[in-house]
Amino acid sequence: MLASIKTNSFTNEGQKLGMMYFRVAIILFGAQLLMGLIAAFQFLVPGFLFELFDFSVARMVHINALIVWMLYAMIGSVYMMITDETGVETVGIKLGKLGFWVLTAAVTVVVLVYIFVQVGSGTEASIWLIHEGREYIEAPRWADIGIVVVVLIFYYNVFASYMAGKQTGIMTVMVANLMALAGLYLAGMFFTDNISMDQFWWWWVIHLWVEATWEVFVGTLAAYALIKLIGAKREIVEMWLWIEVLMLFGSGILGLGHHYFWIGTPEYWWEIGALFSSLEPVPLIAMFVHVLYDWGKEQGEAHGRGEEGNVVTNSPAMAWIVTNAFGNFLGAGVWGFFHTLPQVNIYTHGTQFTAAHGHLSFFGAYATILIGMMYYGVQKAHGVEKMKMNFNSKMGIFLITFGVLGMTVALTIAGYEQVLVERAELGGTWNAFFVAQELPWYIQAQLWRTIMGVVTLVGFIYLVWDLLTIGKKNKAQQI
Amino acid sequence: MFFEPFTDVIPSFFGWLNQGPLTLTIFLHTVIILPMFWIYKQEKANLNK
Amino acid sequence: MAKKNVSVWTSIPFWRRSAAWVTGFAVILLIWLSFDTLGQISMGTDEDLKAGTTKRVPAPTVINYKITYEMNKQRGSEIPIIGGKDANGTSSFEEKELFFGKEWTEEEAADLLHLGKLTSQAKNCMNCHTLLGNGAYFAPDLTKSWLDPAWDTKGVMVSMISSMLPSKLVERIEAGKAVSDEDNQLIKDMKIDIANGKMLTKEEAMAIFLRFPSSYPTHERMMPELAITADEAKGLVAFLKHMSSIDTNGFPRNFSKSVDQFKVGGSNAR
Repeated sequence: MLASIKTNSFTNEGQKLGMMYFRVAIILFGAQLLMGLIAAFQFLVPGFLFELFDFSVARMVHINALIVWMLYAMIGSVYMMITDETGVETVGIKLGKLGFWVLTAAVTVVVLVYIFVQVGSGTEASIWLIHEGREYIEAPRWADIGIVVVVLIFYYNVFASYMAGKQTGIMTVMVANLMALAGLYLAGMFFTDNISMDQFWWWWVIHLWVEATWEVFVGTLAAYALIKLIGAKREIVEMWLWIEVLMLFGSGILGLGHHYFWIGTPEYWWEIGALFSSLEPVPLIAMFVHVLYDWGKEQGEAHGRGEEGNVVTNSPAMAWIVTNAFGNFLGAGVWGFFHTLPQVNIYTHGTQFTAAHGHLSFFGAYATILIGMMYYGVQKAHGVEKMKMNFNSKMGIFLITFGVLGMTVALTIAGYEQVLVERAELGGTWNAFFVAQELPWYIQAQLWRTIMGVVTLVGFIYLVWDLLTIGKKNKAQQI
Repeated sequence: MFFEPFTDVIPSFFGWLNQGPLTLTIFLHTVIILPMFWIYKQEKANLNK
Repeated sequence: MAKKNVSVWTSIPFWRRSAAWVTGFAVILLIWLSFDTLGQISMGTDEDLKAGTTKRVPAPTVINYKITYEMNKQRGSEIPIIGGKDANGTSSFEEKELFFGKEWTEEEAADLLHLGKLTSQAKNCMNCHTLLGNGAYFAPDLTKSWLDPAWDTKGVMVSMISSMLPSKLVERIEAGKAVSDEDNQLIKDMKIDIANGKMLTKEEAMAIFLRFPSSYPTHERMMPELAITADEAKGLVAFLKHMSSIDTNGFPRNFSKSVDQFKVGGSNAR
């Protein structure tokens, strides 16, 4: 099995580095699932690890591992495509590798501090050394600065290669979007006593990442993947990409307003947030249509030419990308729209409804396509011409998708109950919260969420097993 | 009662635009979309050349 | 020149230019809106409070005032009322109350709020609770917790904490473990107060709860002890009181209904 990790038929250095990022990403993905299970179990048995490894710690590591594994997989995916797109070897690759090791060392230290130190005293030192206590961007300030440095190195790799080689439409979008993505992180790197101001800028990072720049990133990856996996025409793919950029940024940037309904910000955000964010699902439908339409078109043309079989050159990767097209629309689009209007959001804000949306959208919009890119990386690592799914790949994608959907449905039901009982009926007081948390429907939903979490974990084990073995199996069949 | 008296805490330009039904968002969408007609016409002319 | 049959809709330059225009303009609009909003949510000053100027986020010295959360007909939602209501149903900034037994100067209040906000981050409140509705969903929302009927002086929490020593701390002392002078003093003071049947104020009870939450369990799901010092606890209570004075456009809705029900003896807020 170790031989299978080391095997590599990569034709360029960038892809080797990309694979290193993928390996760390999948480990962090596992950590995310374990922490999620601990936190889910604490909903059912509150005494579990009480005052030892509290919910706040498990939840912090859960969401931080999520963000970091996705950033790792995103960086890995970019290294996968640099040489393919620009036609030159990645510029400054040695520096890039150094950056990888620095980042990985920093992430390890940060996670160990989260787990073993947990909380600090109410001083600036805690913010600098332990964690910042701000959901999603908890990383302590020293790590923030480290992340900025490593991202600058990564950006240099991408930008210098772009300038040195071909400047395709895909790469142009990538370079511009990555600059915005990296720059936005700076908005989350300061302390203020004013909680409204704090959350105002906090959302600049979180929203403008996950509902604008990350989505454009996914569009760019999908464009690249469609060319590679089904041989889609570059002109068509790039035209779609520009349309997606237009619609994603057109709706997503001002859609930021839907986070400014209740944090002390003015009433006019109700209207801006509601109307712009209501348009956010539109590009997601477009992306879904685009992926499936192109696939059908290429397949049809191949049949027309009298070619036998499937045009897809990597069926597990393609399966995950189709799941992405659907999951992005369902998780980010539909589940997001459910509670984006202020008239609804005043009751759903800060309930399990948000958690339901969070689970399906992070999975549907990001996890899926990044796993697809990992399969693409494995294909390149083994020099397989046409990679086919096997039993493990199918179990992986089925169980993970089913598990996450199940968690989402369970949390949505818990959310409905919470919205109606705690918020609408009882007005969201301390007592109202506990009344809602202790109703049987809520507890049953949490139980199902935990069961579905276990299903997801089993799927994850299949996935890792498959990523480790599929390349070798396919290579053997090819010869 | 289409246009309501201003009720938000602090008066501002956007708050003022926000007094009618969807007036603020219609305004913003319009200023974003209108120039696209101009881009369309220019590109049409370019392609015809 | 003859008119050819060309379509702009499949032209990459058309979509590229449109994408650049829409993105660029949306960014400019967002920056403009942000400047407007930042002006509105910057923290007010003590002068604003004295002059009766309503700010979305008032000065730290708001902790010296009585705060309530009441339905406002004009806004159609509940708004924070600072220092009592005037004829228009908005804040009159007149009625004050002592906070931890004193009136805080501008500088003292600012320092206390600073400590409280820092502590709220260092202790990771947001990964169990929600603040202004954002955070985790494992524990109650803290936006208006200062005004929560559970913490009313006639409510269950204040009377429980007024009559019970923090059991976890007592266990530690009985087991011969070293505790700080501050903690020893707390036990001494509390014993005297309990013997005299003295009721703690809301802020005092909150501060003790924050330091030893698992000594005062009310539900199976409890808050853990997070090594919060007495000063940090005061800071946290100031932070919570300040947060309750922020105008959140009526979030959480119906909160004041629960408060009213409690006042007339309703069972909704045991």
